[in-house]
Amino acid sequence: MKTWFKSGKPWIWLTAGSVSISLIAVIGLILMIGWRGLSFFWPAAIHEMSIEQADGSTRSLIGEIYDSESVPTLRVSNAGTIMDGYEEEEVTRYLMKIGNREYVPLDFAWVLGPAIRSDETPSGLAVIERTKDGNFYGYPIALEQQGEPVVTDGDLRTELFKRVERAVELNERAMALQENEIGAINYQLNQLNLERRSMELDGNVTQEALDDFERRREALQSEYLEYEKELFALREEAGRDSVIMRDMRGEEIKVPMYQVLDVNFPNDMGFFAKLGHFFQQIGKFVSEPPREANTEGGVFPAIFGTVFMVLLMSIIVTPFGVIAAVYLHEYAGKNAVTKLIRIAVINLAGVPSIVYGVFGLGFFVYMVGGSLDQVFYPEALPSPTFGTPGVLWSAVTLAILTLPVVIVSTEEGLSRIPSNLREGSLSLGATKWETIWRIVIPMASPAIMTGLILAVARAAGEVAPLMLVGVVKSAPMLPMDGNFPYFHLDRKFMHLGFHIYDVGFQSPNVEAARPLVYATSFLLITVIVGLNLTAIGVRNHLREKYRSLEQ
Amino acid sequence: MISVNPGTSNLEKLDLHNLPAEQTALDIKNLNLYYGEEQALYDVSMRIPNNRVTAFIGPSGCGKSTLLRCINRMNDLVEICRIDGEIALHGQNIYDKKVDVAALRRRVGMVFQRPNPFPKSIYENVVYGLRLQGVKDKRILDEAVETSLRGAALWDEVKDRLNASAFSLSGGQQQRVVIARSIAIEPEILLLDEPTSALDPISTLTIEELITELKEKYTVVIVTHNMQQAARVSDQTGFLYMGKLVEYADTDTLFTTPAEKQTEDYITGRYG
Repeated sequence: MKTWFKSGKPWIWLTAGSVSISLIAVIGLILMIGWRGLSFFWPAAIHEMSIEQADGSTRSLIGEIYDSESVPTLRVSNAGTIMDGYEEEEVTRYLMKIGNREYVPLDFAWVLGPAIRSDETPSGLAVIERTKDGNFYGYPIALEQQGEPVVTDGDLRTELFKRVERAVELNERAMALQENEIGAINYQLNQLNLERRSMELDGNVTQEALDDFERRREALQSEYLEYEKELFALREEAGRDSVIMRDMRGEEIKVPMYQVLDVNFPNDMGFFAKLGHFFQQIGKFVSEPPREANTEGGVFPAIFGTVFMVLLMSIIVTPFGVIAAVYLHEYAGKNAVTKLIRIAVINLAGVPSIVYGVFGLGFFVYMVGGSLDQVFYPEALPSPTFGTPGVLWSAVTLAILTLPVVIVSTEEGLSRIPSNLREGSLSLGATKWETIWRIVIPMASPAIMTGLILAVARAAGEVAPLMLVGVVKSAPMLPMDGNFPYFHLDRKFMHLGFHIYDVGFQSPNVEAARPLVYATSFLLITVIVGLNLTAIGVRNHLREKYRSLEQ
Repeated sequence: MISVNPGTSNLEKLDLHNLPAEQTALDIKNLNLYYGEEQALYDVSMRIPNNRVTAFIGPSGCGKSTLLRCINRMNDLVEICRIDGEIALHGQNIYDKKVDVAALRRRVGMVFQRPNPFPKSIYENVVYGLRLQGVKDKRILDEAVETSLRGAALWDEVKDRLNASAFSLSGGQQQRVVIARSIAIEPEILLLDEPTSALDPISTLTIEELITELKEKYTVVIVTHNMQQAARVSDQTGFLYMGKLVEYADTDTLFTTPAEKQTEDYITGRYG
């Protein structure tokens, strides 16, 4: 035993063990989140169940099985449910998503296993994704065109798909019109008003200029009316058809086609059809904006906001961090003050992030932003331009938060550069600055990238400070669009991390939101890993280039 | 006994202690150097002649590299280092306050113990000094690359891969790139700080032959702890011991009939 200890083997086991535990924890976490998030997109079978109720009658239930759990029988009977004749200790409970939100009190229902009299997944059951009130489950029985029944020669389903496709396309055109053309006109009108206001503030308003403004405004206005007419026409076209559905209560319900996003018959799908649908759903999730208070639809604005903010932060933090590190390492005297500054910088990394949020709000948003508004955007006052939380201030706040990481790793990189290379450069008549710029910084670039990787990893996951300085639940516009100057750093933005919080804990419909939380978490991890892999790729390329360091 | 470079012995012997000003490249006067409290050089005075190879020899820690690094003020980088005395480069004191250190180092090139090419291409390594001076004309740069690489006896080996990384070369070739880099800016004096100590015997031989050629254009000062090398390449040799210049004479004289007992002990291998 003693020799075994002496041989050092226990240490090997200990170290290997801790590595394995860390690995298992990380992989397990990712698998868990990935599984629960991704399974949400797999088309689930739609069950039609017949449930026995307390009074002995039965009712029919149509929906997806969302979740199941085992609970002690005692607890169920104590809660008032009569469990006569059921002997097992545990009873299985199913959570059914029954949709049809506007026709039932709750779109989720708990069903006790023993109460299920029959359970089947009949062919012909459809799930309709709608722009409002969530999914609709039921049997399509007829189609209507402008209130008149459509005669279909037998194949209702083909006709239904065709008409849904038409409605979806029209809706998309209407949406594009609204976002691009009408959005641009709104933006221009807004700019025009600001221009006029600024002229009034300058006090050189001439009748000529006012007439000119009026003329431009009218031109835009009439253009707007044209587009609006087009928009209404598109909408009316989209509203032409509707589909009559029979729901689980046996009632016939008319679903207008302009609300329909997609129709599927998951019970009739083969494996490959399901697989196709799965990827299609994922595609929609990452490319579409959210609907219905974030409980439905995609997360595209949040992905865009996260990546945009992180890139902006990297652009801000890298030069600042590198310059600070160069000064500390190369120019500052090696004395107690420098040591103190270095310790202070390192400790900055330990300040809770919410403190940075408060600082960002007080200093950047109100002080700097407020002053910017006074100086550069007086025409928009009293409504603030930069004096309000926005993507720029979020990026700046996170840049300060991650500055210590960049400084520390850059300094480490600087100290690893062999002194004989510096001497070589100096001996050729280079000044210290020329040596740093031409030799030292390029060679320290892998270390700078390492700092940036750590900074990105920290910033992309940070939520608390962002809630104070720019993140919102739902941003009407992306921080980048086709209107000059293309980047709108004053705008608020959406963020995946905040989205998780919002969907998971601020949502009116917790059950509906849960898989979205997993899916969004998985996406956030994917985004962070993606950003990191990019940075690591760049770093490895640089390392390869400056490999001499390892000599 | 150590054989002395036959090429050097034919040279006219100079009176090193009363060298006339026009033949003097460097005039070191009463140089004292301290690292903090510790004194590393004691009252060193010597005159180094133009277009000759001067070697500093001595055991490890005797101050020969320190003395060399005084000549291009590399010791300025060491914060605790303090110097008094004077070094005159063609009559001008390089420790004068008005001297621009970068300009001085353009006149006094240096090659280090370990090859230290920059992580750039061979071409970019050679033109580094010229680019610092703001030379942008491609024709001038190309010409300088060829002349310098020929001057460093490397042209034929690398002319087809000037854009390859300097790290892809062998140690001896790297050292010659460094020499080419130094002579590209046409210095007056070339300092070599144990330039072959990290190299294999064949590369060493190439560099030694190169040194003999270099003295036609440059004044060369070389530090070496290899006495045979000093004997082979240098015209005059200074022996340093414990921070003092013990003896400074023609290489020939110093190795055959040393005036000092310490010198004799050292070159006959009694210590060091």
